[in-house]
Amino acid sequence: MNDGLKRRDFLKVVGASGAGAGVLGCSTEKVENLMPYVTPPEEITPGVATWYSTVCGECEAGCGMWVRTQEGRVVKVEGNPNDPVSKGALCSKGHSSLQGLYNPDRFKGPMIREGGQLKPISWVEAEEVLAGHLERADNYYLITGSTGPSLTGLVDSFAGDTGGKILNYNPLDHGPLREASRIVFGRDVVPWYDLGSAKCIISFGADFLDGWLSPLRDSRGFSKMSAVGEGGFKGRFVFAAPRLSLTGQNADEWLPIAPGTEALVALAMANVISGGTAEAGPYQEIVDAHSPEDVAAKAGVSAESIRRAANHLVEDGPSLVLGPGIEGQHRNSTAVNVAVAILNFVAGNVGKTVDYSSPQFGASSRSSSYESMQDAIGDMRTGEVPLVLVHAANPAYALPSTSGFKEAFGQVSFKVSFASAMDETAAMADLILPDRHFLESWGDSSWRSGRFSIQQPAMQPVPHFDSKQVGDVLLSVAENMGVGSGNQSFYEWLRLQWQSKAATEGVSDFEHFWREGLRTGVIDTESESESSSSEALRETDRALVFDSPEFDGEGDLHLMVYPSARFGDGSMNANRPWLQELADPVSKIAWHSWVEMHPDRAESLGVQNGDVLTLSTDYGALEVPAWIYPGIRQDVIALAMGGGHTEAGRFANGNGVNPMDLIPAEVEALSGGLVHFITKVAVTPTDDRYQLASIAGSDVQSNRPITPVVSLEEWTRGTTEHSDEGGHGPLKELQGIGGFVPIETEGLPENFPLDGSKHGEYGKEDEPRWAMAIDLDKCTGCSACVTACQSENNVPWVGESQVAMGRDMGWIRMERYYEAVDATQAGPVDIRFLPMLCQHCNNAPCEPVCPVFATYHTPDGLNAQIYNRCVGTRYCANNCPYKVRVFNWYTFTDEEPVREGLGHIPEPLNWQLNPDVTVRENGVMEKCSFCVHRIRNAQNRAALEDGVLAETDVVTACQQTCAAEAIVFGNIKDPNSKISRISKDQRSYRVLNEITNTQPAVSYLKKVTFHEVVSEGH
Amino acid sequence: MTKRWIGRLTIGFVIILGCLALVFSQENGEDDSVSSSAESSTVLDFTQPIAFPHTIHAGVDQIDCQYCHFSAERSVDAGIPPVSTCMGCHMVIGGSDEVQQAEIQKVRDYWAAKEPIPWVRIYKVADHVHFPHMRHVAANVDCTTCHGEVKEFEVIETVNQPLSMGWCVSCHVEQNVRRDCTVCHY
Repeated sequence: MNDGLKRRDFLKVVGASGAGAGVLGCSTEKVENLMPYVTPPEEITPGVATWYSTVCGECEAGCGMWVRTQEGRVVKVEGNPNDPVSKGALCSKGHSSLQGLYNPDRFKGPMIREGGQLKPISWVEAEEVLAGHLERADNYYLITGSTGPSLTGLVDSFAGDTGGKILNYNPLDHGPLREASRIVFGRDVVPWYDLGSAKCIISFGADFLDGWLSPLRDSRGFSKMSAVGEGGFKGRFVFAAPRLSLTGQNADEWLPIAPGTEALVALAMANVISGGTAEAGPYQEIVDAHSPEDVAAKAGVSAESIRRAANHLVEDGPSLVLGPGIEGQHRNSTAVNVAVAILNFVAGNVGKTVDYSSPQFGASSRSSSYESMQDAIGDMRTGEVPLVLVHAANPAYALPSTSGFKEAFGQVSFKVSFASAMDETAAMADLILPDRHFLESWGDSSWRSGRFSIQQPAMQPVPHFDSKQVGDVLLSVAENMGVGSGNQSFYEWLRLQWQSKAATEGVSDFEHFWREGLRTGVIDTESESESSSSEALRETDRALVFDSPEFDGEGDLHLMVYPSARFGDGSMNANRPWLQELADPVSKIAWHSWVEMHPDRAESLGVQNGDVLTLSTDYGALEVPAWIYPGIRQDVIALAMGGGHTEAGRFANGNGVNPMDLIPAEVEALSGGLVHFITKVAVTPTDDRYQLASIAGSDVQSNRPITPVVSLEEWTRGTTEHSDEGGHGPLKELQGIGGFVPIETEGLPENFPLDGSKHGEYGKEDEPRWAMAIDLDKCTGCSACVTACQSENNVPWVGESQVAMGRDMGWIRMERYYEAVDATQAGPVDIRFLPMLCQHCNNAPCEPVCPVFATYHTPDGLNAQIYNRCVGTRYCANNCPYKVRVFNWYTFTDEEPVREGLGHIPEPLNWQLNPDVTVRENGVMEKCSFCVHRIRNAQNRAALEDGVLAETDVVTACQQTCAAEAIVFGNIKDPNSKISRISKDQRSYRVLNEITNTQPAVSYLKKVTFHEVVSEGH
Repeated sequence: MTKRWIGRLTIGFVIILGCLALVFSQENGEDDSVSSSAESSTVLDFTQPIAFPHTIHAGVDQIDCQYCHFSAERSVDAGIPPVSTCMGCHMVIGGSDEVQQAEIQKVRDYWAAKEPIPWVRIYKVADHVHFPHMRHVAANVDCTTCHGEVKEFEVIETVNQPLSMGWCVSCHVEQNVRRDCTVCHY
């Protein structure tokens, strides 16, 4: 080539010189091993997931779970679709159980305290030590949290054989509710609530959507009754309490009643309904004495609003009244629950939407009152108690410090903890026998009388931790001591219990029965209850005070201590970065504590968001930053439980404050339960400020069409045509100015892909087109979808400092906008939730600006993000109007954090990672992918089977976990699919579409309100 | 003549730069990577724990690929045979010469110790690629298309097909099947 170097030759040469390392032809920079099985388990195919049914152990609701394992390792949990409680859904706490299983701070093995330090010992030695102490002690206490029926039976018989006294300790005990049920209907139970069958619900503070009795059951039921149905009916929800919890934010109307006046208002409502008839039986006189006019002034709401709410209860059919939750549990709580029971009875709800004959938890449930714990504390304080065993409970954290538990516990001669990870109580223990996580354990659960689920281990115990099931330990120790039944293992004990139960049910083939129970996850037996269609109100045998109680302290500011929507009581699940980083559904704050305060009160104190305040009661003082919240009465401030850990692990320690340090440990007179809402509080601003890590952008829509609503009246009257224009027509205005000619389209599936947007789409004719619809009338804002997505897609957690900088990496976030919330008088509540995720815009602004073509539109309608191609320009995130693209500013997925406080994945938390989804490192942009891995897996499976991809084959993680069934996903080109029908619904709209013309594939269905919306901000 | 020398100088310059870049770039890799140069035999050792000959198993004995690599038809992974599969035959078959007997004894030792044989991985695509074996098996793509004539290799040391993205895509184009990025990259 005499005429110089040609381009091709140049490139060939450059290529050749770089090929040296490529001799092996593939990306083998290092030597990796392929480890086969020795003898393969029959049920495991490498690369294919194996699923097990079990039951969640995070709270008492006992929702059935399906656990996904890959090669014997648990990687994801979902709800069990066969389970009548969860029906396939799962809450954030349930998803976070993976981080509990792989908690890096779990005990590595049994430990004994010698010379003040905990030292490892073997199981044999540990059990011998325990047996020795049990033999020498003539009596001892066994403090245990809620356990399933079989383990409870074992613990009972063990304690009986060895002289132990059992204290069931549950920080969120429902003592007042049970006592009220006993007083009014003669049954010491928690009744079963059926929200879905009610046409109107009034809650006096029960936060049923984010905690309380059974959040999934109630979210599903609430969504069913409250979302507009086929017949155009919309159930009404009225919230009567001093503070709007997440549940309250979903109400249609808020009666911001004064603290402690719930019983008065309930009686007044009963007064309105019973109107002179003798329906209230022995309570008629009391009901007659409380008219709305009598209580209005005290309650702080108008008589008219009480009357109106009461009339709603009987207008449309069965209704349901729910009592206060833990946060409203004051000195007269039992009376409140009695008043609520009376109101339910008078409204004709008993036996329809509230069922005392087939109650929750079944006969196996029991709980000791706080009163008995108080007695035990007194006993321990004397120093005469030789031994205390603690299992599934953390009273040193969860009890108020004024209870004296810590001091008393310190006086016990020998303290044993079965905790699987360090907590405040285990930190004081002399012997630790680490229990297994429920995902590694056998057991059972009764979520309703007569209904059971078997809990089975979904994997071998995590090898990093030498743990043993508490049932096995007790049986082994009993054997050691020569007491007990001689069973070898808890598994055998469990089967024995079930064999006898099955025998009473008349089951002949127990093995088949057992296997079916394990496979489906649900066992129904003959209900243990007496059926009863006509309950009658019984006269009370206790002195009831319906008036509002006394509050300790001075001033007019009451302190509400409420269970966190993320942690519940937080005593044993705080060491989970997913939960810590999950933005609280009400405040949108992560990682730290905050105190909620009304704007008027804040102004009068000169307090702004983030100002650190000193809260002091007669019992303690705390410093905590303020967060201004219009959804709380001016005379109330509120603090969430779950913060302020000192011994709970690396992610929990040092975050926030523990509000239990501010309240006394007082027993409610009638139920023996712990009183939470009991004291007033003094607030003093300090000079400090704290930057709260909040993911909230704006609390108001500022006239942007983000979450428009439609009133029930307008919707009933409305057209059936799909309307995408919100009435503004800014596109049309822009057209008039010139220079910008948008693509006009109705947004219907037939129009896609749009002309001019087909760059690089080399698809086939039969490609599906994926789209999603989210029904905002159903969405409750619970944020389970956020945790589900994080779990499914290996979304990193970034740490508090990054969240405070706005670098939170959630692929889906729950936005919340205030439209109407007034804490001074009864009125409509209009707080709107918007789950915001990548909209997979057909006309995406992010696609054309990527210099390396790392993001593009796939033939099947997804906006794809190719991680290995991304160079980190971040222009795409810049262009995204929804700000759903998140960038890996650091590598958050290594064993060690890049810098202190940043997200990382220490062993064995990395065992949780989903192998189907690439794990990203720094410099890479990521966002919601519509669970493309699930789509591809479903397509692969369909190709192997019959080639047809059915609608139910592809379910995104967020869709699967939503108890309200708010998310619909599918192939919009299929005319029979649910998504194609829903996207044509008259309530359907696309966020910001009129302004940006992005033509999202995600459509939302407008929330329907009872009131007419008057503001210009839709 | 000037143009020719300029061309040659340019080529030489580029080659030097390329080699330098190669050497320096390896240091920024992961902690456990070893810098390699054009002579690849220096540090990375791909010797298998047992000298397993595909020539005998797949060649002479004509054992089907999927007898051992059992999950290829239903999973993303092809599967490495569990030790029990090896023992199925080698419980009885001891080998016909000393070399063979020594290697087969190793299999039996692993089985007796209940330990998996730590095979060294040869065929691998990058971590950010999701390659589903079952789709390709179902599409009747012969194993040898990508893995080469394995039954002719005594020891599999190198990958004789590029396994590069371009090579994969060219087959997808030829066969006219889905080839947008998210089919493999997600």
